[in-house]
This record gives sequence, C-alpha cells and structure tokens, in this order.
Amino acid sequence: MGSIELVCPAGSPAMLHAAIQAGADSVYCGLRDETNARNFPGLNFDSAELNEAVRWAGARDAKVLVAINTFARAGQTDLWKRSVDQAVAAGAYAIIAADLGVLAYARDAHPQARLHLSVQAAANSAPAIQFYAETYGVKRVVLPRVLSAPEIATLAAETSVEVEAFVFGGLCVMTEGRCALSSYVTGRSPNLSGVCSPPEAVTFERTAETLTPRLAGLAVDRLAPGDPTGYPTLCKGRFDGFGTKDYLFEEPVSLNAMGLLAALRTAGVRAVKVEGRQRGKAYVSRVAAAFRAAIDALDRGEDPAPLEQRLSDLAEGGRETAGAYRKAWR
Amino acid sequence: MRVRRTRRGNAAPQVGHADGPLAEILFLLRGPVEVLLTRATRRLSRLHPDAFARLGPFQGSTFRIAPTDFPVAFDLSPHPVHGRVSVVRPGAAHCGVARMSAPLADLLALFDGSLDADAAFFSRSIQVEGDIGAAMALHNALESAELRLSDLLALPAGNRLLNGLLDELAKLARKPASPAGA
Repeated sequence: MGSIELVCPAGSPAMLHAAIQAGADSVYCGLRDETNARNFPGLNFDSAELNEAVRWAGARDAKVLVAINTFARAGQTDLWKRSVDQAVAAGAYAIIAADLGVLAYARDAHPQARLHLSVQAAANSAPAIQFYAETYGVKRVVLPRVLSAPEIATLAAETSVEVEAFVFGGLCVMTEGRCALSSYVTGRSPNLSGVCSPPEAVTFERTAETLTPRLAGLAVDRLAPGDPTGYPTLCKGRFDGFGTKDYLFEEPVSLNAMGLLAALRTAGVRAVKVEGRQRGKAYVSRVAAAFRAAIDALDRGEDPAPLEQRLSDLAEGGRETAGAYRKAWR
Repeated sequence: MRVRRTRRGNAAPQVGHADGPLAEILFLLRGPVEVLLTRATRRLSRLHPDAFARLGPFQGSTFRIAPTDFPVAFDLSPHPVHGRVSVVRPGAAHCGVARMSAPLADLLALFDGSLDADAAFFSRSIQVEGDIGAAMALHNALESAELRLSDLLALPAGNRLLNGLLDELAKLARKPASPAGA
C-alpha cells in the first residue's frame, strides 16, 4: 500500500476481483438487500459470496469493507443487525455504517469490529466526528462531498479519527444522508431504501427529436439526439424555474479529484474512495488502475497530473469536476 | 464549480440489415438455431445457477436484445429451467420486460463486462426501453458470473466459427475509449 489507501467499489464478486487486480488496497461492498446504499437489481453479495470475497481478498493482502449504510426502518431493525452479524462472521476488515442504532448494535454485539462512519452520516465537523469516535468507537470517517480541501485539512488536524475522502465518481449535491428528493416522487430514497432513482420508476420516452427521461412519470430532462446524459435523478434534472430552463440543483457531472491527491494527502487524508458499486468491472478496472498509478507516482515524487485525463469518458454527462474541493460557493 | 467537458461517446452506427437477404436466410433457419441457443441457455443455467439467482423476480422474463447492425434480434428468457432464446425480426412487436439495442460489439462488451454500462448510457451508445431494473439485473447477473453474452447465445461445443466471431466482435469493443494520448 502507498501513502494513501485506495478504496474501490465492488458491486459483485467479479468487480471485487477486478478492483483488487487493478491495484485497489481495499474494496467496499454490500449485502443483497436494502441495508446498503446501492440496492439495485442483480447487484451485491450474498452471505456465501461475502465469505469467499474476504478470503480471496485476504490472500492478496487486500481488505474488504462492508457497507451497511442505510438507515434502519422502525420494526425492521433485525435485517440491519443480521447484516452486521454476517459482515463480522465473514471476517470483514470494517463495517461502514451511518445509523446510530446500527453503530450501537455493532459496538455492543461485536466490540472487536472495526467501524467506519459512512458518508451517509454527513459528519462534517470535528465535534461531530469526535462524538462518533467516543460513543461508538468509530476509527475512520468518510467525509461528505461538500468540503473543500482546506476545510478537510482543518478538520483532519482537529480529530484523531482516520479521514477518507471521495476522489472519483458520482457526485451528491445534498448533504449525504439527508436527501428525500426521490422519495417524494417514488416512495423510495437513497438513505432508507438504497436507491436514488429506483430503476423500476425510470422510463425513457423517445421521439425522433428528443429523449425524455422520466422518474415516476415526471420529466427530469429533455435531450436532443446525441446529447450526453446523466443519471435520471431529480437533483440532476433540468427544469423551468426562476425564469430560466436549466439545472436547478446540479449539472450531471462526475467527480475527478486526481489532481488534488497531493493536497488531500497533505491535508491528512488517509484513504481515498472511488464511488460506483453499480457500475461494473470495466469501470472499476480502469479507475483503480489510474488511481493506483497516480498514488504510486505521487509516492515516487512525480506529478500524477498526466494521468488525470485517462478516465474522462467514464464521466456522467460526459463532464468532470473537482467538485467541492475547489468550490467557490457555499 | 469548475466543470471540464470531455469527449463525447461515438454515436452508434445504425446500419441494420433487417430487410436484406441475410436476414431472410437467418430467419428461415431460426428453428434449429433457436433449439441450439435454448439448449445452450439451459446448459449455462445448470453451470452458473448463481447468475440466474441474481435475476431475482426477472427469471423467466423476456428480454429483447436487438443489435442495431445485425439482421435479426433475440428474445432471451433466462429461466433456470425453462430458459429460451427466440430469433425475431428486429422490428417485431415486443411484449417482454425490456429491450436493449446497440451495435453488436457494444452489446457483447457490455454483457461480458469489458464496456462500462453507465458510460455507454451517458454517451447514449446503448438504448434501453421497458423495465430499467430488469435490464440492470440481466447485466449485473451476467457480469457478476463473469459470463459473456456469447456464452449465453453461443452454440454448444463445436461451433467455433460463431463463438470466434462473437469473441472477435467483443475484442473490437474493448478497444480503449479514452481520449487519444491519455
């Protein structure tokens, strides 16, 4: 492992293999139910697959982190507890959680388990992170994608908890863990059901001139032939409002902070994370290899900037951004 | 926020030959081809039950796989026991759960995991109609089992010509899509 741990997504055993073979130090995955925030059809691991994944990764000096990072529903908390038990039984390196009840259960039932605080918890201040560390024994925090690099440096200096930051993939414009946009129109949300736009609620209406993505019947954009598109989510929809027809919340772009790796390392970031468990092995192979090369270049004292353009075609809407890390807005 | 525009994906060529003589020949031969493809699908379901389990509620649903540059399309019903593949005309009415269309090489690469499905979607080189969740389940199931579409549609052992052709097409699609010089 280099000076920064490279944490990559695995939506399936095949993706886990691809990520590790391409240079990931750790992979994160979820069980095949609503306890994780990428609960899509055909994705994720069953109990046997998780056991085998931990064994396979361990044989290659890689770690498996299990995301149990949705918020448990009242009356259904046994499902989240069972997931924690399965992750511990499999020998996972860490559990990534956000819900206070899930964290408390993991702490009490499995005091030896290593806990990481999910981005879904939206802990973006040192006192908040300290609370999770002191109360639940959290060892690492995954920061929300709304902080700038200087803010991360300040925060990392004020806490003893390891800091993990997203560097590539889909962007979330909300303070993670508190988005209810899709639940307004579909009844399901990323934080409770593990899906931003449930696929069964998505349709595409085609005419000779336009493509109209709809979420539960609501048009979220209208595209001319050949226009690149993004995920059909409300937060990245184009609407008529405030006297203009444009993206009201965020444009469909992908985060690529490869150019900020050195700054993030200096800021005290211990691990960098790639989003995209839903994307597949082609995606993770390329992203893991590119960031592996970038981190290795950095560790040799070289500039990883030439590697930054390698992943451009994977971007949502065909565009990339450094996100909040270089933000000029609040 | 600083935004950098990147290269757009290539538009999918629309060069289907649905009305040509090859289409007619393939369509006339569809009976034995369907028998062989159906047999291959059922054989795979025995070899890879995990892949079929990932389909969940979509086991046995019918998926239309319609290469935009191929004379015929396929209706795939990936049931572990009653799986079936039918050869249909590309424009035939479809009453299945989802329809996926793209150049054949892209479809092959998509299902064997060498092409990123979301990137193909962002660049609009693939079109999906119907139940998006069903299409995702099929893609995720095939990729997670490290199956190739040519495995699913391939004729049993001895049909090296077709398998070889499908593999060559898949290799074409694996060519790097990143910007030149990157």
